[in-house]
Amino acid sequence: MSDALSEASDLSGDDSQDVMTPTELIAKLEEAWLNEKFSPELLKNKSEIVECVMEQLTHMEENLQRVRKGDVKASIHRMEIDRIRFVLSSYLRSRLQKIEKFFPHVLEKEKSRAEGDPSFLSPEEFAFAKEYMANTETYLKAVALRHMPPNLQTIDMLKAVPEPCLDSFVFLRVKERQENILVEPETDEQREYVVDLEEGSQHLMRYRTIAPLVASGAVQLI
Amino acid sequence: MDPSEVEFLAEKEMVTIIPNFSLDKIYLIGGDLGPFNPGLPVDVPVWLALNLKQRQKCRIVPPDWMDVGKLEEIKELESKEETFAPIPSPYYMELTKMLLNHASDNIPKADEIRTLVKDIWDTRVAKLRLSADSFISQLEAHAKLDNLTLMEINTTRTFLLDSLNCMYKLRTNLQPGSDKSNDY
Repeated sequence: MSDALSEASDLSGDDSQDVMTPTELIAKLEEAWLNEKFSPELLKNKSEIVECVMEQLTHMEENLQRVRKGDVKASIHRMEIDRIRFVLSSYLRSRLQKIEKFFPHVLEKEKSRAEGDPSFLSPEEFAFAKEYMANTETYLKAVALRHMPPNLQTIDMLKAVPEPCLDSFVFLRVKERQENILVEPETDEQREYVVDLEEGSQHLMRYRTIAPLVASGAVQLI
Repeated sequence: MDPSEVEFLAEKEMVTIIPNFSLDKIYLIGGDLGPFNPGLPVDVPVWLALNLKQRQKCRIVPPDWMDVGKLEEIKELESKEETFAPIPSPYYMELTKMLLNHASDNIPKADEIRTLVKDIWDTRVAKLRLSADSFISQLEAHAKLDNLTLMEINTTRTFLLDSLNCMYKLRTNLQPGSDKSNDY
């Protein structure tokens, strides 16, 4: 018990209410990475995790600066840092890819978000999305639209760019038991039915049905 | 997902090694390891085990299940069961491949193990194809896939999910009165 406490105090993120050990933090990052990779839409940003991990990495790298070259321990630490950095960048990259793919919808969602609700995008991602939108519009105007007849010169990005397909199927593993998940029928002849998701079981079903569970962390996409 | 990323996840699994060097406890971000003493078994993640092995600093102890007798039992169970039988490790394929490629000298009967694991894999992937086929032909909306490993899911993921999406789009556009007909 005292071990867990002393480890937890290592984590410099005092602002987060739930105290996490660095080990849990890395596990959380990996969860977020896989969820982001497999969900068809952009998920809520996890900037607190990203920031904490970044802090851990810089902290560790600073410590390694002081170690002499050729030290076995240092090389092991470096390998671990590389692995964590890979997960972190892959996570951020898959978010950027989704922003590029769905930018008008991402920005629309951001606009319609109620005051006080946490944003789906981190400030950096928001800036990126806005810039991407502006650049795309300028590009389309410069290359094609200005040569069009005047009545065809406007373009509605929301219609021009496909929406994320929430009806995609996803593979998932259940982390917290869920009861009565409604499965919608595929055809009109079939009836809808409910399933219970047992802890630890794995399923294939539509993302739309379980999207709230992904957000709450009750299921993990795999 | 790229197969190498599945392998990356498998590299987090713990494996026992017998080091031939001594080193104090290491405090990694992902948890503490060690201490390492020559001749004393210690658990480390596979990525570290393989690295130490390549630098000839340790011997890898194969996991319990990586054993001809146990694998034969699993193979038999797998061919008897209709559904996916429980598997000793969620990363059995990747671990076998990595450990056999880099540490086959530490694993007794490496070739037999390789063949057995391949057989188990083939049986399971054949089952997976069959069930994917019936999933599609019966227009199911939900499937339970217990005991299926990430690597197995990954072999069929892109193809299965994309086909399901295509079929869904075709179908929703066919059904009269659905306003879902979309612009793309």
